Amino acid sequence: MDYLAISNLPIFWLLASLTIIVSAVQTILFVRQANKATRECHLDPQLPKQAFKIGLISAIGPACGVFIVMVGLMAAIGGPIAWLRLSIIGAAATELSAATMGATASGVTLGGEGYTLTVLAVSWFAMALNGAGWLVFTGVATPALEKLRDKMSGGDIGWLAAMSAACSIGIFGYLNANQMIGAGGSIAVGPAIAVLTGALSMMGISRFIVPRYPKLAEYSLGIAMIIGIACAIVYDFAAA
Amino acid sequence: MENNYMSTWKKSSIRIGTPTNLLAALTAFVPVIYLCTAYGCWPDPSIVLSAWGLTALSFGAFYVVEPVSYYASLGMSGTYLSFLSGNIGNMRVPCAALALDVTKSEAGTIQAEVVSTMAICGSIITNLIATTSAAIIGSAVVAVLPAFINKGLQTYASAAIFGATFGNFAIKKPKVAVFGLAIPLICKLFIPIPAWMVIVCSVFGTVGIARMFYNAEKKVAK
Repeated sequence: MDYLAISNLPIFWLLASLTIIVSAVQTILFVRQANKATRECHLDPQLPKQAFKIGLISAIGPACGVFIVMVGLMAAIGGPIAWLRLSIIGAAATELSAATMGATASGVTLGGEGYTLTVLAVSWFAMALNGAGWLVFTGVATPALEKLRDKMSGGDIGWLAAMSAACSIGIFGYLNANQMIGAGGSIAVGPAIAVLTGALSMMGISRFIVPRYPKLAEYSLGIAMIIGIACAIVYDFAAA
Repeated sequence: MENNYMSTWKKSSIRIGTPTNLLAALTAFVPVIYLCTAYGCWPDPSIVLSAWGLTALSFGAFYVVEPVSYYASLGMSGTYLSFLSGNIGNMRVPCAALALDVTKSEAGTIQAEVVSTMAICGSIITNLIATTSAAIIGSAVVAVLPAFINKGLQTYASAAIFGATFGNFAIKKPKVAVFGLAIPLICKLFIPIPAWMVIVCSVFGTVGIARMFYNAEKKVAK
């Protein structure tokens, strides 16, 4: 009854793939929708291809991070479920949280003594329920969000643009602050360096390099990210 | 034509996004239902609910706050896509934002919707390749990479990309960006409120500041 051995059985790869297939199908349907809109609105047909390429390439950096995190998660909760959970909504930290709460609610620790198949089921239920929170809300309420955005922008296109930028700035300000301030309100120097050097590199690349080498625009995010990671690693070596 | 098409686009987004997101919410339960059925390990429903209750305490507010906050950056299709595929802050929004930038698309246009949708779709493919190859060869690769690279990617990739995306916005709206970073930093350092409230303060605080600057600039223009 080794819970990890059972979690890794071939049948679970198959069952996990069902949700991933739903995501893949959704992606294909939206690509078709975008291509159709491009034709019917007479947009430049290069635009969707270029945008797709930008998404594909800019995601490589963070995807490498996901790759490594997934190896760790596989060791904790089994391959198929880690594959499922990291391919859809729910970052590794969120999933491990949910899995741990499953153990806590059953009075044991994740993977520890007394972590039976029944407790495994509780962890899996907790992760599925947590993910369902976002899926059901967006599945049901997204049209209302569009109305909310329309109301907030009040039909003023200039303000819509400024408001969209402000929302993004607010979100990323929060994500940055979250990285920079560790538990207990202390500054997490390594991540803070990654954030600040990432930001400054991006600003530098956008301001000084892209105007001279426009083809680099697609890679700017990836390059800035690598610089941010590299500076943080250098700090790690220096501080060690 | 543009306005008519927007409503066509929205209807079609809802027709694609609603059933797929809801279906995914259901299919995610298939592995655990099989586990319980095949091994007879059905847990006590009250334990499942209390496990979810504990989790929802940490994340429940985000079910609502995140879609509301990210909607303006993602658009309608982008929201359905991103909340199914996840990795929103570190992959979907940065890729969409960069694509909008490079293609010089204006917010609220059909071009912006097409561009951000395609960029998000591209990033979803990349993530699926990453998770699937990790499932197949992950352990072997991690074993040969130097430890500091593994650690760097794991610990710092998110921070670096958050910073880089922020930088991309900051260069266009530096005054707003200062507040966008200051508000959450101040909250986290000095005001003990839960995480979801920090997001709300960050996003709506920044929007409020942006509104003030916008109104001031309009007055000067007049």
